[in-house]
Amino acid sequence: MSLIPAALATATVLGVAGAPAGLVLPPRVRGWVVGVLTAGVGVAGGTAGVAALGGSRWSAEVPGLLPLAGTHLAVDALSGLFMAVAGAVVAAVAVYGIGYVTGHGSHGSYGLGSRGAQAVLPLFALSLLLVPAAASVSTFLLLWELMALTSLLLVLAEHRARPAVLQAGVWYAVMTHLGLVLLLAGLSVYAAQAGGETFAALRAGTAGISPTLRGLVFVLTAVAFTSKAGLVPLHAWLPRAHPEAPSAVSALMSAAMVNLGVYGLVRVGFDLLGGGPAWWWLLVMAMGGLSAVYGILQAAMASDLKRLLAYSTSENMGLVVLGVGAAGLFAHAGNDAPAGLALAAALLHVVNHSAFKALLFGAAGSVLRATGERNLDLLGGLRARMPVTAGLFAVGALGAVALPPGNGFISEWLLLQSMIHGLEVPGVTTAIVLPLAVAVIALSAGLAAAVFVKALGVGFFARPRGEPATAAKESPPLMLAGMGLLAALCAALALVPGLLGGGLDRAVEAAGLTGTRPVAGGGLRVRLEEVSATLSPLWVIAALVVALGSVMATVNWATRRRQRRTQARLWDCGGGAPTPRMAYTATSFAEPLQRVFDDVLAPEQDVDVTPVRESAYLVERVEFRNRVPDRIEHRLYQPVLDLLAAAGQSARRLAGGSVHTYLGYGFVGLITLLVVLVVGW
Amino acid sequence: MSESLFSQLLNLACGAFLLAAVVVLWRRELAAIVRLFALQGLALAAIALLLGLHEDRWDLLVVAAGIGALRAGLLPYLIRRALAVLVAGQDGGHGGGHGEARETQPLVNVAASLLTAAALTLLAYAVARPLVELDPTPATRALPVGLAVVLIGFFVLVTRRRALAQVVGFLLLDNGITATAFLATSGVPLIVELGVSFDVLLAVLVLQLLTVRVREAFGTTDIDDLRELHD
Repeated sequence: MSLIPAALATATVLGVAGAPAGLVLPPRVRGWVVGVLTAGVGVAGGTAGVAALGGSRWSAEVPGLLPLAGTHLAVDALSGLFMAVAGAVVAAVAVYGIGYVTGHGSHGSYGLGSRGAQAVLPLFALSLLLVPAAASVSTFLLLWELMALTSLLLVLAEHRARPAVLQAGVWYAVMTHLGLVLLLAGLSVYAAQAGGETFAALRAGTAGISPTLRGLVFVLTAVAFTSKAGLVPLHAWLPRAHPEAPSAVSALMSAAMVNLGVYGLVRVGFDLLGGGPAWWWLLVMAMGGLSAVYGILQAAMASDLKRLLAYSTSENMGLVVLGVGAAGLFAHAGNDAPAGLALAAALLHVVNHSAFKALLFGAAGSVLRATGERNLDLLGGLRARMPVTAGLFAVGALGAVALPPGNGFISEWLLLQSMIHGLEVPGVTTAIVLPLAVAVIALSAGLAAAVFVKALGVGFFARPRGEPATAAKESPPLMLAGMGLLAALCAALALVPGLLGGGLDRAVEAAGLTGTRPVAGGGLRVRLEEVSATLSPLWVIAALVVALGSVMATVNWATRRRQRRTQARLWDCGGGAPTPRMAYTATSFAEPLQRVFDDVLAPEQDVDVTPVRESAYLVERVEFRNRVPDRIEHRLYQPVLDLLAAAGQSARRLAGGSVHTYLGYGFVGLITLLVVLVVGW
Repeated sequence: MSESLFSQLLNLACGAFLLAAVVVLWRRELAAIVRLFALQGLALAAIALLLGLHEDRWDLLVVAAGIGALRAGLLPYLIRRALAVLVAGQDGGHGGGHGEARETQPLVNVAASLLTAAALTLLAYAVARPLVELDPTPATRALPVGLAVVLIGFFVLVTRRRALAQVVGFLLLDNGITATAFLATSGVPLIVELGVSFDVLLAVLVLQLLTVRVREAFGTTDIDDLRELHD
């Protein structure tokens, strides 16, 4: 029982010690010390999380730590799940980060090794672990803001190297604080109505709040949380901030920070508000479904490797939120069995996504460090030059494509099971929404396959298409070790997901869906108690291996029988030997998809033909430009930004430069206030 | 000191305090304005002295002495010195004229200023009514005077063009705040008053320096001419 507080205290001490260590230590040892301390934060926090998943609970109140409200902490299985995930990711990424910062590479440590970034990194890791442990509104908001600020500083770590970083930082700062304002408004209304600001008081006071106000609280907080999770339409910060952050930070943000948006949604929606009417959850499902499809479509169009991964995060969080919304819908209809299953599937997908996305961002960082290049069109041929990174990326990609034997497959299969069995829930809404949700999941899974075939095939196979890719060298061993830990986690999740079963059940129970045990863990099997379905990943994998082996053996045998094999030059249509420029690029690979989804994506294409001066028929140069802008961002954000800019411009007239005018504003304001006081009271 | 004598003397001091502020709006000669400000400082010191005698607190007597020295002596002296420098500079540069020594063109004319001062005083009395009702002693009944001087000082800041008139406006405002504090709490602790006085002294020193520099750089201290520094 005393494991959780001890582990949390250890994490806090290590995290707080890491900040001054990053500030004062000389560069030679800074990376090592901070990395080890951050890894310690991850291990300690993860231990607390695992203990909570195992059934321990802990809560505490520290009255003097914060003024006025004090600090309230509580850990249950739901927090434990997110803490365990964050802890594992933090620990592995910290190991990776040591290699990233200290190892010698041609492109340096990219700003992550700087004094400021190294001082902030342990605090960011700590805030990731502590946010799920907060048990009052003020504590939660404080830690939430700490997380936002530290991550913002880390996003800005490379601002000297590229001007785009600054722009990304501004977007991220504005959007994360918009989210904070919404969250603050929602939770303040909630706390005022419930008559207390601890989560226990909120839980107890919910029954007395009118449905309209409850709806308001839910909508405000849900929008804020989905913005943090990177869901459409408040996703615009994500494809900017994740690519521009140092890769270790991208991994932390994408695999641990966005999860906390889901955590907040589940905590407030299920645990505190205790579920709600169908429209809440339909709203959530709509946002989730839209994000899933839109995110993966944008990922399919992206040529920037890290932007692709960022949009894929948007997609996966969309799927998770789709599951959360379905769980709420089922729970509202009184069907706790499919509700528990959907929530368990969503939570399992959070775990799986964290594992493979951290790995993928790590591998992307490894590529970036070796080549200085994120553009897939200019990469290629890295399999021969960076074999370990390529292999690790392949493991992560396998997880991301939702096909066996990857780990993503299991959670998406569970999600599909819950949607299909949710059709038992009576009602017209479910009859319309659930088939749509199934279609969304299937479509996004299919597109994800194309996306990661593109990322792996174009980025790592074939011949290098650019100078940097030709000169690439394998990353330092510690980076590989960090990624190896994550790959092992992916493999474990793919092979024995049943081990998580009990923990998932407890997390679902902690979310308020009591009395269901959706996922009975059998170690090697996942058995769904309520809908009688079973999946044994080991058997699936064994069958795959056998099938693959037999096909290869047959092919081998068949080719060996035909002994005559002749070596000949490749048929090149008489155009000379094929050059790397002729190979498939990311853009050309995505072109068919772009055609299919032309109406949705609305790509912008420009063709400039410059003829030779004497003749209109002889072409000197053809220029072709293809851009796929983020359409939602374009349509939704641009008008708002224009309006704000216009308001700002017109407000300049107020500041004419005369000191008397400025003093007059103050004087008139004061007098008006006093007159209102006199008249009003 | 008997209660009624205290009350009458306090009212007298407060009346002088308010009157000095109003007359600042009437006079245009900067030297006269500074004299009025010194007079107001004396009235403020008298208020503190009366409160100290009434409450039998020796520290208030020290505060009163300090206020008198600072607000009726040191600050007027500093402003007068700046004024002398400005006028001398102008005499040397342009050969005479009273441009720097007079507030020639206030943004609101004198008659309107006096009417506004009356309106502001009324407003101060209206605003302070609930406060006075809480504890109607002679000191709290005089509380609106402090508020009125705050508002009049602010009004001087808004409507007067010369930098030194602005400085006096700022000091009127500060006098008003000090008076309000004295009247509301029956005497401010020595350490607080010490801090505030030191602050004001520093502000005036900086403003004096700044005014002279502005005059050297732009040839005038009409702050309405300083419009370039804006967004």
